[in-house]
Amino acid sequence: MIDAELALFLQQGLAINIGTRDATLAPNAAYAPAAAVEPDGTHVVIYVPVVGADAVLADLAHNGQAAVVFARPMDDRACQVKGTYVSHRPATDDERAIVRAQWDGFMQQLEMIGTPGESTRTWITWPCVAIRLRVTALFNQTPGPDAGARLS
Amino acid sequence: MSLGLETLTSCFQGIIPATLYTCAADGTPNSAYLSHVEYVDPSHVALSFQFFNKSRRNVEENPQALVRVVDPDTQQGWALRLRLVRSETSGPLFDRMALRIEAIASYCGMKGIFKLLAADVYEVVSVSKVPEQPGQGPAASDRRGLDAVFTMRALQHLTERISAAEGLEPLIDAILAGLDEVFGFSHSMILLPGEQPRTLITIATRGYPENGAGAEARFGEGITGLVAEARKPIRISGLMRGMLYAYAARFRAEEAGWCPAERRIALPGLANPASQLGVPLLVRGDLVGVLVIESETPYRFHEDDKQTIELLGAYLAMAIRNAVLQEASEAAEPRALPAPPPREAPAAAAGPAGALELAYYRADDVVLVDGEYLIRGLPARILWKLLTIHAAEGRAEFTNRELRLDKTLQLPEYKDNLETRLLLLRRRLEQKCPALQIASRGRGRFALVTGAAVTLVERP
Repeated sequence: MIDAELALFLQQGLAINIGTRDATLAPNAAYAPAAAVEPDGTHVVIYVPVVGADAVLADLAHNGQAAVVFARPMDDRACQVKGTYVSHRPATDDERAIVRAQWDGFMQQLEMIGTPGESTRTWITWPCVAIRLRVTALFNQTPGPDAGARLS
Repeated sequence: MSLGLETLTSCFQGIIPATLYTCAADGTPNSAYLSHVEYVDPSHVALSFQFFNKSRRNVEENPQALVRVVDPDTQQGWALRLRLVRSETSGPLFDRMALRIEAIASYCGMKGIFKLLAADVYEVVSVSKVPEQPGQGPAASDRRGLDAVFTMRALQHLTERISAAEGLEPLIDAILAGLDEVFGFSHSMILLPGEQPRTLITIATRGYPENGAGAEARFGEGITGLVAEARKPIRISGLMRGMLYAYAARFRAEEAGWCPAERRIALPGLANPASQLGVPLLVRGDLVGVLVIESETPYRFHEDDKQTIELLGAYLAMAIRNAVLQEASEAAEPRALPAPPPREAPAAAAGPAGALELAYYRADDVVLVDGEYLIRGLPARILWKLLTIHAAEGRAEFTNRELRLDKTLQLPEYKDNLETRLLLLRRRLEQKCPALQIASRGRGRFALVTGAAVTLVERP
């Protein structure tokens, strides 16, 4: 589902946000400092700080629907991954390095466009809950006439 | 109860992109980035409807939405629960948002591609802090008083400085110096209407390596041209910097094709401005000029600044118009000042090889100095007139009045703007040909000071 090029893009350290919805169709969301694409491209793991995960986890337990948006500050390339909930668990110490590396990548992106990295260091990036989703659809969201087009 | 939305206006500058979450009637959530959330009033915001059609379809089916914004000063994340109440396709809110989008698109050379279809107005149901995005430093509500830069007190300081300036040139310089020293805006420029319809010409700049005098802008192009066309202030704060970068090359290519490089002066500007403000200078609806301010740091324009910016534009327009009229009327009866201050000889006079070739290309109405573009249009004709009289008669003293009466200069009958063209010529010579100077000799009088042996060549 997610090809190698897109997997590289998604895991380089981007602005990542997961959206869900509750029983009344009201949206909820959480910031994610990192994401991992499984080798076959059919599943992704989204790392969400525990402190901000309650509403999203409750929604996923209720209906399992998620929409994750990834954006690269440098050029505004953006992509939305729709998925259905598979499972969640506390992120392991081994995964902390992944989260740190992607967060650092995101900081470098911000510095490239002239926003000092220190500015977002107040955000909480650990401990995280690892949310595993099965990918159901991919959409281009880079600003422009093709925004919203299905990628595969 | 107040939501406190009015204290979060720095979150709505587009410095850090916002995210929008919606849900379709079938229960499928959608997440998207937003370039901009527009503050409408203490209980409403507006979102631009341009590209994110899925989000738009969702809110039509299910009006509940969630927007998350980040305070660029403290980094605190805020969650705004919204409910769509209406869509506007005309009116002041729509115009304001459309102009902003057009300004950015124009910068990217993409005018007409990025277009506002509607301004969607949402009621803000609740505002809460995002727990995983805590901020630092004082809360936005504590900084509110500091955020408004265009305060009445600062405007008063500026107007005091400006009112002390006598004449157009000191006035223009006082405006730009005042913006720097009173407001801290160190990069600014003033453009006045050009000779061709729907064009502007740079008369003075501050903070750039080159003074840029004579640089032109067309109506509708870039922030300057859009301000002139719309006659409304445009503020751009840090938003869509990625877009600016991505399309910068394309924009520059188009710009280069607009006019041969050697016959056009590039508009001064910062390579990567983080914020820009364009202010139309209007007197009773008549465009006197455009003021452009740039900054390398994302400046948070406060909501309260909107009104004062327009007030500033009206005041500066009136001051410039008065100065032009006053100089024109005084120039009608020229008189020498009691003792004009002695001027230093032009720089090149001291040098060993002070020889210049100036060429006037009649068909193109352009003067070149040593093969390089100097100036065109009326200032070029004025310079050529002065140089040819100086060469033929040895005369170096001139009056504005004799220029105004000289039919060969082809001054327009109405609003000839002679004084502004002389100022432009003086600034351009300072920049590109310091061996030639236009030196003031009192009201309505000036001298051509040559610091080099000048050869004149006239070509068809």
